[in-house]
Amino acid sequence: MLEWVYRGLRRGRVTTGYPHRDEEPFLGFRGHVDVIGDGPVSESVCPTGAITVQAGDVALDRRRCIMCGECVARYPERFAFHSTYETAEGVVRERRRSVHVRHVDAGSDGAEEWEIQALTNPYYDVQRLGIFFTASPRHADILLVTGGVTEPMREPLLRTWAVMPAPKAVVAVGTDACSGGLSGLPGVGSVLDVDVHVPGSPPSPIAILHGILLAMKGLA
Amino acid sequence: MTRLGEGARLVTTHRRGGEPVATYAYRGQLVTVPAPPAPAVPAALPLQGQDVFTLPYGPVRSGVFEAVQFVIETGGEDVSRLSTRLGFKHRGMEARLRGLDADRGAYVAERIAGIASVAYATAYAQAVERALGVEAPPRAQRWRVVYAELERIANHLDVLAKEAETAALAVATARFNIHKENVLRLQAAFTGSRFARGVIVPGGVRADGRVDLDALLRVLDAFDGDLRHDRRMFLATGSQADRLVGTGVLPRELVERFGGVGPVARGSGISTDARHERPYGDYRRLGLEVITEEAGDAMARVLVRFGELSESVRILRQAIDHLRRRNGELRVALPDASGAAYGWAEAPQGEVVVWVELDGGTIADAHFATPDTRNWALFEHAFPSDVLTDFAFIEHSFGLTPAGADR
Repeated sequence: MLEWVYRGLRRGRVTTGYPHRDEEPFLGFRGHVDVIGDGPVSESVCPTGAITVQAGDVALDRRRCIMCGECVARYPERFAFHSTYETAEGVVRERRRSVHVRHVDAGSDGAEEWEIQALTNPYYDVQRLGIFFTASPRHADILLVTGGVTEPMREPLLRTWAVMPAPKAVVAVGTDACSGGLSGLPGVGSVLDVDVHVPGSPPSPIAILHGILLAMKGLA
Repeated sequence: MTRLGEGARLVTTHRRGGEPVATYAYRGQLVTVPAPPAPAVPAALPLQGQDVFTLPYGPVRSGVFEAVQFVIETGGEDVSRLSTRLGFKHRGMEARLRGLDADRGAYVAERIAGIASVAYATAYAQAVERALGVEAPPRAQRWRVVYAELERIANHLDVLAKEAETAALAVATARFNIHKENVLRLQAAFTGSRFARGVIVPGGVRADGRVDLDALLRVLDAFDGDLRHDRRMFLATGSQADRLVGTGVLPRELVERFGGVGPVARGSGISTDARHERPYGDYRRLGLEVITEEAGDAMARVLVRFGELSESVRILRQAIDHLRRRNGELRVALPDASGAAYGWAEAPQGEVVVWVELDGGTIADAHFATPDTRNWALFEHAFPSDVLTDFAFIEHSFGLTPAGADR
């Protein structure tokens, strides 16, 4: 047992300073896609229909975006990956109390669960920010929902939400939860009022943490 | 039974005018034919006894888990009977594939079981390639191996981290989670996605990995050393080994009867691995040792995973060596042709098999046989003498994902 402790200590600290410090994201991090520049764009470039063109104006619905990068590859002058962390420093200053988070899988592909679980690993360690995962929805302030809502999960999702005490917030985690994405299911918005959308397929742990911090701001 | 041919899938059976009929999905159409004779299955006996009760566990469970329900019939401590209720997250992904371009289909395929994106995308891409009579260029096949082995490492580390967490070994949990996060970040550095999504397409891969291979080698060397230590200590920690040895024993005959696959089968002494038995892509050129254990308990499944971690590192070193020595094309164009074929790949959970039918370059029909479906049938039989507190150890040792079974 002592050897475990020794090994743990020898590894040193790996925890991110986010959201208190600006930090270089890990290589290959994709935050979201920005629309830039000028030029013609075909809507069909997007596999999920996130891009709409109206009278030459290009709009990108981030809730539908799976960050596959097809638009960036085909129109590098019109689309670019936004690959820096957005700090939620202001949010953290306002925070006074801890929050408890409950998660419900309404029909995800399984990857979102991995990324939420990653929040408790030493790299992100959200307990340091007073964020805890709870088994009972009666203790929860924030509901994380992954996946578009399947018919069998609609009722368990509503029941979980119903027993959570106010004030409470819903965070839709992942493009599937935000809009149904490629799954063709209805998004969480069809069942509950969503407070924060965290797109991404799956969103990175930092994006999920950002979403939780924004939801905390709404609770304050 | 009327033979419809390969690719037909039973949708439902019912009675019409007193005669049993079955509906099959075949080539995008629903076909109704006389039903096959129902197998004689003895009805499940009701479980009775003093203080026996039924515990429905799920679909919303404690912790961050996917939606699945376990119905546990128990007298309080021992698990007398367990049944799994799947289907809570059936999304109809196979139906979503119909009518898509072969290219775009890869996006859907890799989201069937998100934690095995590479394996599902590879199996799908290989099915399309075989159906159209093309083959991915050697360099693309090599990159697929790199991503697949990184995915396997991440999945096996996830299982080890969860076993350690269940045994309340805080440092071990942290260490395995650090390794896993490093692997996911490496995957992101290569591909822009922590799950290597959007890289594998029918006909090859979209791009070369974006980090230099020396960086990967350095990470591998460090990981290899760390893993050796962590493995020794994991196995030497009594409170951990005690919970795994003799827990959730699956006899070899049972696994064979159910057609178990992946580390679950290999932990019961069955040497089955698609990379070895039906080698595909670059595995035809890379040597592979299939790791097996005889005991069939949770510890055996954990040991298989430890062995496969080292084996994956070895395969990665070989693949890097090949990638460095030769450049080449990454992608071949697909003809707008029609055809149908199987494709397969060894996911971290076991072999996934895909049947794809193409009609002029678009997908007419697609079906997935997933390792999760097959191994889940075994899960109910993994509690011969185990108690409720063993549940989490046994569940994690299986390493299954409901998304793959529900689709």
